[in-house]
Amino acid sequence: MKIMKLFPIAFILIQFIFFNLISCQRGDHANKEGPLVALVMKTLNNPFFIDMQRGAEDAAKELNVSLLVQAAERELDVEKQMQIIENLIQREVGVLCITPSGSKEIVPAIVKANKAKIPVLIVDTRVDSAALAEAGGRITTFIGSDNFDGGMIAGGYIINALGGEGEIAILEGIPGHETGDARLNGFYKALEGKNDIMIVATQTANWERDQGFNVFQNILQSYPSVRALFSCNDMMALGAIEAITAAGKTGQIIVVGFDAIQDARDAIREGKMHGSIAQHPYDMGRFAIENAKKLIDGQEIPSYIPVKIDLVTKDKLE
Amino acid sequence: MQYKEFILHNARQFGTLFGLFVLIILLWILTPHFLTISNLLNVAQQTSINAIIAVGMTFVIIAAGIDLSVGSIMAFSGVVLASALEAGLPLPIALLISLAVGMVCGLLNGLFITYGKLPPFIATLGMMSVARGAALLYTQGRPISGFAEDFRSFATGEILGIPTPVIIMIGVYIIAHFVLNRTKLGRYTYAIGGNEEASVLSGINVKFFKTMIYAICGMLSGLAAIILTARLNSAQPIAGIMYELDAIAATVIGGTSLMGGEGRIVGTLIGALIMGVLRNGLNLLGISSFVQQIIIGSVIIIAVLIDMALKKHRK
Repeated sequence: MKIMKLFPIAFILIQFIFFNLISCQRGDHANKEGPLVALVMKTLNNPFFIDMQRGAEDAAKELNVSLLVQAAERELDVEKQMQIIENLIQREVGVLCITPSGSKEIVPAIVKANKAKIPVLIVDTRVDSAALAEAGGRITTFIGSDNFDGGMIAGGYIINALGGEGEIAILEGIPGHETGDARLNGFYKALEGKNDIMIVATQTANWERDQGFNVFQNILQSYPSVRALFSCNDMMALGAIEAITAAGKTGQIIVVGFDAIQDARDAIREGKMHGSIAQHPYDMGRFAIENAKKLIDGQEIPSYIPVKIDLVTKDKLE
Repeated sequence: MQYKEFILHNARQFGTLFGLFVLIILLWILTPHFLTISNLLNVAQQTSINAIIAVGMTFVIIAAGIDLSVGSIMAFSGVVLASALEAGLPLPIALLISLAVGMVCGLLNGLFITYGKLPPFIATLGMMSVARGAALLYTQGRPISGFAEDFRSFATGEILGIPTPVIIMIGVYIIAHFVLNRTKLGRYTYAIGGNEEASVLSGINVKFFKTMIYAICGMLSGLAAIILTARLNSAQPIAGIMYELDAIAATVIGGTSLMGGEGRIVGTLIGALIMGVLRNGLNLLGISSFVQQIIIGSVIIIAVLIDMALKKHRK
C-alpha cells in the first residue's frame, strides 16, 4: 500500500503551513492583554479599508488593545461577512466594530452579537434603522461621516465650476446600498432648483474601476457634450478618467469622485480629475478602536461619533 | 473480509474523512473556541448552503458535466422568492416558486446541452450570465428585504437544538444518497459519466436523464436560495457570486472525478465540511482572508493530487 504513505506526508505539509501561520499570528498578540477587539470590514482589497485598518492598528498599539482585523474576500459578500461575525462571536471577542457590507443584511448578525452580549460599533456605513428596530437589534454607536453632506459638497462644486449650466453625468454605486444612495441624494439636493443643469445620464458601474471605464466610454459616445461627471466613488471615477483620456478630452470634463484615495489624489494633482470628497477612513479606524477601548474600560460613549468630510482639490493638495 | 472490501472500495472517502479529522484535531489544539457544541452547529449552519448546492454539482460532475450557473440561479430564485413573499403569497407556494425557478433554469441548461449539443461549460456559462442579469433586471438591482417570522425560521429555527438549515442539509444528503445509489436515475448518472456512447448504445435515454440531472441541480440552487434569503432576511440580486467554484471545490475535495463516472455523495458532504471548518477555524485564529484563499486553494490541489495518485495505484 504505497499510497497510504502519501496521506501522512500531505497532512504533515498542511500542519507545517498551519503552524507557521499561527506562530506569526501569535507574535502580533503575544504581549497584549485585555479583551479582544475585532474590526470586520467589507474587504481588504480597497485602499479605503486599508487606511481604516492602519488607523485601527495605530490606535490599538497606542492604547495597548488586542486587535483582530477580518474581512470578506469580496466587498459585496454579505453572507461571508455574516459568517465572519458568527465565528468571532464564537471566539468571544469583547467588542465588535463592523463596516456593514449591506445595511439591511447585517441586521441578523447584529442581533446575534446582541444575544451574545457583545457591543457593536458600526463604522462608515450606516445600518438600516427600520430593519434594525424591527429585528429588535441594538448598536452602541455609529462612527462615520455623512455621505449625504459629501454628495451636497460635490454638487455645489460642480454647479460652481460649470457656472450654473451644462450637461452632467453620474456614475452610481450599487443601487440599494445606503452609502451610494446617500451620496446621490445629497448630490440631487444640491442640484434642486438648478434648472440649467441637465443630468443626461446616470448609470451604475458597481463601484468598480473597469466598469467605470466601460460605462463612461458608452456615456461619452451617446452624450459627447457632457461637461461634468459625479462618480459615487473614486474607483469608478478613475476608470472614467481613462475613458476621457482615450477620447482625447483630458481636463475638459470636470470629474468629481468620492473617497479621495491615493490614486485619485494623484489624478487631481495631474489635472485629470478636479476633486474628490474626502472621508477620513484612517480617523474612522482610529475612533473605532478608541471608543472600543472606552467601552472596555466601562465608560459611556455617544451614539453618533462624526468624522469630518471635505472636498480635496488641486489647491488643497499643494 | 466484507468490511475490508468496503474500506478499499471507499478508500478515497476515508482519506477525506481522515483529512477532516486531522483538521478538527489541529483546530482543537490551536484554539479553545473551536470544539464547542455552539461552534460546531455554527459551522454546520454556515456549510449548509454550499453543501446543498454541491449535491447538485456532484450529480452533474459524475455525469461528466459542469454547472457554472448555480450561484446566479440561486440569486434569481432568491429574488423571485422574495417578491412572492412580499406580494403576500402563502409560504408553501412561495417556496415552490423558488424551487421551480431554479428547476426551470436547470432544465434550460439541460436542454441546451442535450438537444442543443452545447458543451456544458458553455451552456452553463451562458446561464450564469442570463440568470444574473434576470435577477438584476427583476429587482432593478435592489435587494428585497424584510420577511415574516415563519419564513425566517428556515434559517433561525431549530429542532431539538439543531438549526433548521442543518436539518434540511442532512435531509437532502440522505435523499441524494438514496437516489444516486438505489434508483435508475442515479445508476444512469454514473453510466453516462463513465461512457456516454456506451450508455446510448445500451438503450439508456441519455438526453432525458442528463436534462433531469441539470434540472435537479438547478432546483437545489433554488432550495439554497430559500436558506440564504431567510438567513440574511434579504434577497440580493448579486448574491452567490463565485458560489459555483465553492460547490465544485467541495465536490472535488470529496473525491468526485471531474472526468465523470465516479464519486460519492458522502464525499461531497465531507468536502463541504472541510471547507466550512477551514474558513471557520481560520477566522477563529484571526488569519487574514488573503491567507485563507491560499490555504483553501492548496487544499483543493492536494486533494486532487491524492486522488490521482490513488487512481494510478489502483491501476
